[in-house]
Amino acid sequence: MREFDPVSLEIIWSRLLNVTEEMWTTILRTAVSTIIASANDFGCEIMDAEGRSIAHAYRSMPVFNMTMPNVTKEILKKYPADTLKPGDVFLTNDPWLCAGHLPDIAVVTPIFFQGRFVGFAGNIANTSDIGGSLDAKNVRDSYEEGIFFPICKLYDDGEPNELVFDMFRWNVRAPDMVLTDIEAQVAANEVGIRRVVALLDEYRLEDLSALSQAIRGRSESAMRRAISGLRDGEYYNEVYTDGVGTPLKIAVKVTVRGDEMVVDYAGSSPQVDWGGINCTLIYSTGHTLYPMACLLAPEVPVNEGCFQPITTIAPEGSIINCTFPISVGSRVNTGWYIHGAIFGALAQALPGDIQSGNGLMSSLHTYGFDGDGKVFNAHLFCGGGRGATSMGDGMGPNMFPSSASNVPVEVFELNSPALVRAKEFVTDSAGAGLHRGSPGQRVVMRKAPGHAGNLNIYFHPHRMLFPAQGIFGGADGRRTRVVLNGTALSDDPEKMTQGYVGLESESDELVVEFPSGGGIYDPGDRNRELVERDVRDGLVSPEAASRIYGAD
Amino acid sequence: MTDSADRFTHALSVDIGGTFTDFSLLELSTGRVLVNKVLTDPENPDVALIAGASELLDDEGVDFDRLRMVVHSTTLATNSIIERKGAKTALLTTEGFRDILQMGREQIYDIYDLKAQYPPPLVPRYLRRGVAERVDRDGNVVSQLDMDAAMETMGELFEEEVEGVAVSLLHSYKNPEHEQRLKTAIAERFPGVALSLSSEVAPVINEYERTSTTVADCYIKPAVSGYLASLTGSLAEEGYEGRLLVMHSAGGVIGSDAAAERPVRMLESGPAAGALAAKYYGELLSQPDLVSLDMGGTTAKTCVIEDGRPTVSSRIEVARVHRFKAGSGLPIVIPVVELIEIGSGGGSIAWTDSLGLLKVGPQSAGARPGPACYGQGGEEPTVTDANLVLGYLNPDYFLGGRMKLDVDAARRAVAGLGDALDISEEEAAWGIYSVVTENMASSARLHVIGRNKDPRNYSVVAFGGAGPAHACEVARKMGARRVISPLAAGVTSALGCLTAPLSFEDVRSLPSSLDGADWSSVNDVYRDMEAQALRLLAQAGTQGDGVMLTRSADMRLSGQIHEINVPIPDGDLGAAQLERIRADFHDIYEELYSRRNLNIPIEVQNWRLLATGPEPMVRLSRRDVDENADAGAALKGARSAYFLGLGFIECPVYDRYRLAPGARLTGPAIVEEQESTAVLGPQDRAEVDEWFNLVFEVGAVASA
Repeated sequence: MREFDPVSLEIIWSRLLNVTEEMWTTILRTAVSTIIASANDFGCEIMDAEGRSIAHAYRSMPVFNMTMPNVTKEILKKYPADTLKPGDVFLTNDPWLCAGHLPDIAVVTPIFFQGRFVGFAGNIANTSDIGGSLDAKNVRDSYEEGIFFPICKLYDDGEPNELVFDMFRWNVRAPDMVLTDIEAQVAANEVGIRRVVALLDEYRLEDLSALSQAIRGRSESAMRRAISGLRDGEYYNEVYTDGVGTPLKIAVKVTVRGDEMVVDYAGSSPQVDWGGINCTLIYSTGHTLYPMACLLAPEVPVNEGCFQPITTIAPEGSIINCTFPISVGSRVNTGWYIHGAIFGALAQALPGDIQSGNGLMSSLHTYGFDGDGKVFNAHLFCGGGRGATSMGDGMGPNMFPSSASNVPVEVFELNSPALVRAKEFVTDSAGAGLHRGSPGQRVVMRKAPGHAGNLNIYFHPHRMLFPAQGIFGGADGRRTRVVLNGTALSDDPEKMTQGYVGLESESDELVVEFPSGGGIYDPGDRNRELVERDVRDGLVSPEAASRIYGAD
Repeated sequence: MTDSADRFTHALSVDIGGTFTDFSLLELSTGRVLVNKVLTDPENPDVALIAGASELLDDEGVDFDRLRMVVHSTTLATNSIIERKGAKTALLTTEGFRDILQMGREQIYDIYDLKAQYPPPLVPRYLRRGVAERVDRDGNVVSQLDMDAAMETMGELFEEEVEGVAVSLLHSYKNPEHEQRLKTAIAERFPGVALSLSSEVAPVINEYERTSTTVADCYIKPAVSGYLASLTGSLAEEGYEGRLLVMHSAGGVIGSDAAAERPVRMLESGPAAGALAAKYYGELLSQPDLVSLDMGGTTAKTCVIEDGRPTVSSRIEVARVHRFKAGSGLPIVIPVVELIEIGSGGGSIAWTDSLGLLKVGPQSAGARPGPACYGQGGEEPTVTDANLVLGYLNPDYFLGGRMKLDVDAARRAVAGLGDALDISEEEAAWGIYSVVTENMASSARLHVIGRNKDPRNYSVVAFGGAGPAHACEVARKMGARRVISPLAAGVTSALGCLTAPLSFEDVRSLPSSLDGADWSSVNDVYRDMEAQALRLLAQAGTQGDGVMLTRSADMRLSGQIHEINVPIPDGDLGAAQLERIRADFHDIYEELYSRRNLNIPIEVQNWRLLATGPEPMVRLSRRDVDENADAGAALKGARSAYFLGLGFIECPVYDRYRLAPGARLTGPAIVEEQESTAVLGPQDRAEVDEWFNLVFEVGAVASA
């Protein structure tokens, strides 16, 4: 087997990363749904012949990078390597194998080089519709959440599997859009395959195995070194989420022994039999590994080697490891809190590297019929305040833990009969600290003048009960506040569990203040000039400046 | 140009960079180019400019009144944003939206970096104010503009001593009325304050990008307009009779009054000149598909030129927090020559990352301390040090011998890196060379194949001090077969300035489905844009007949965010042109993505107009190719140089200035000129063409 020196490995590895970048760009440019093209809710990866990831696109949705190889290994179990043919394309949206809910569709294509099977190009993208109930908060099981594709062939030996295409045509709400996006996913893999083949040819490699071993090996060593730098021990934290009606607990214990880590979610709440807020283990694992990569080796291009030293376990039947056919559609309302739990747990081990709690991304989703009977279906993505770090104030608000971008107000209004009256920072919202969290944002929405029907807004708020945590004496961030025509719905979270608000008249007004980020260290120690700047900028009121920051 | 009087004998171009101001004087009849270089004076750039130009003209024995044109490019506009030295600027937005400028797209640009920061906005929050007004998506007024309140706000801002006011209201690209009324009122009550309206600077949908662009325009306007006015005056005093022409971001020139009016269009105009020069050489050699490679001390800039046209993008990012991370800067939506800049220059530092791999850049040793071989205290190995160790550079002929290079210092630095990686000194040196050429090749290749084109059909035009030493290897790695290295690579950009036509591109958003386009509005928009463009070009000296108007539109499949540019027919537009436009869209889409999609409706986002004047005639000195020309006549010696597969071998060294047209070289070989050194690998061949360009045929593909 070929050995790689530090020069050729650098060159070939960079080339491989560029391949995934090209795959990513292919989807970005040819997909047609807002959620993929605009919010970038997808990821692309190259895997070796055993389904192990060796490179992912830099801007991929983080959690997909971790779950993609799992799907691929499952494909190999069902379709062993010796049965694969050039022209096969696999598809699945199995939440227990793929990415935790049905809209995330994996498309995986085997790579052949000089007639031999050498690896896979794959991607996962969040489709705009997968059928099932629109009333996501009231679903009682997975069957209500849409159509489930077990691992199957979308193309077999180059021939389309018409049954799969037909299943899409008859089971999802906007089949042209959905199938165009899937086509973009297929095209991205084709690009990836062409480039991998060219790379193997140019560098006279027989296959990807030696390269995979070198990449994973170096990454694993880097990760082990980083873990070895932590003091051995058990690091525990628990955080709470709003749940649906009843708060839920995420308990995490990180055990560090030498150069390995076990992340155990024992003690977390049992799965909830409705509302879709349960996480499958593969999804939870993704959200465990992502913050670990940020904390321990942010400079290493992530691949499977990075995660060999980390084991994730969770009790079966918990919100972290739910069982089929429980509902999972809104699993971000649980899974996105895992990062905060881990940051808090590792605060003592990595005091300079962790981040205070994050406000998290939300979406105001409008759906209905325009005056002329046309469907409108638009998202206004709104970032939460980012937590502070030892290096500075929290950045944002932004879409953490997703790599999405927002949708411009002008574009949102073009696609939806809504009138946004404000999108601005909320004074005194940022979690105080020597470094403060990012402020939260307020969005005010009305119905567009002239729109006859209701403006239906679907909205599943984060953090109505439990704010983003401050760390080391920094204050917590602010919770979500939802006000409809002067009534604070968020004061009684039960009212928001339906996840729906209807604006009936032009004077109806929905105000949402999205959660802000937590602070770090004692606010009394904050640089006076920064406090004065924030006061001058109206981000901190003079009253709060003196009360919280001790300004004169 | 409209004149043809014989008394105009020369053309002058001046490029003000951060460190140096470069001059080039072209003798129109012979194509002879004279150059001068002086230190930039950031406080009084125009004084230094006149002084440097006078020196050059005195040497040539001509006066300013003999100049047919003076073309100017400058990084001053970009630098004032990077260094935050622009005007104290205020921003008026629709009430409730003053924070859009700071929120941006709310996107994480590095998913693994928890400590990443966004760039601070150019206008702090206390100078951003909302005004009561609202226009909806169709351009209808939902809330009337409260002018009294707006003027009260302006009064408060004026007390803060703001020098400029940017105005960016929601949906103003659709209905600019409120912005216009604010402009009139502000100009009346607060005369002298710089004003930029989003509906004039960037009338395109997407409030963040439009606001960011408008703010940047306003932020640099007082300084840029003052500077251009003063420079115009100084040139006139010296006797220059023509108009001062200014290079703009899209690779053309425009009159200085138009530039002062919309200074944001000058951002990054300097580097665009290099791409224009490459295009010029491509035309000379009948090579329409090119990659320009401008490798300097800190970065390498590449531009893809397709079918004779540099690729133009509709946005750039300036003042990035992380120079090479997209998303970490301020977006500016203007037509701009698409330059891909990476941290690969002669001064780029080689290092070992946490995975034990050899990395090069983006950190640079800069000019101080510079590469180890400069002997100025630099200890880290750089690309230049590697080139010296490999024998590519002549320690006694760097910058024509003006600077001695310290070979031992270079070897120490490179050997140190080799120790860290457990490889030999020569492996480390070759490693640096391999990695830096791969970095450049990858970025260029990504852009070529990203356009679904085959790199084998492209030629590389290499310039900048470090370009020719790496160009053959870069071409080999990206799969290109030919390299063009112009004589005097150091002044290539200046020549690009002189070849730039007068041009102006305008754009308006009218988002709709293609089928549902409101043709009467589209025709209005084109009438308006055409009148405006013709007026601007006339101001700069080009009238009617010489102007070419080219229409295009940014179109996409409904739901996409990435648009493709599709040609639009001239004349009155209507349903009759629909079929043709639709067919063109599908053809271009298929060319780019190898797929046709007839199920999803087509949307139009922006309508564009490009007005171009005639290209200035620039002739280079030439001499007929002599089939019997002998490269041996230019042989100046030999030295030991390293090539993959051969190790260190005696390699012939040629004097570029003595190579006559027709002379042929076979690699391995080294060709030295004052500003740069060209390296031919063992499989490469080269020939000098009639314009004294070195044209390389690149040999077999190498592997890492």
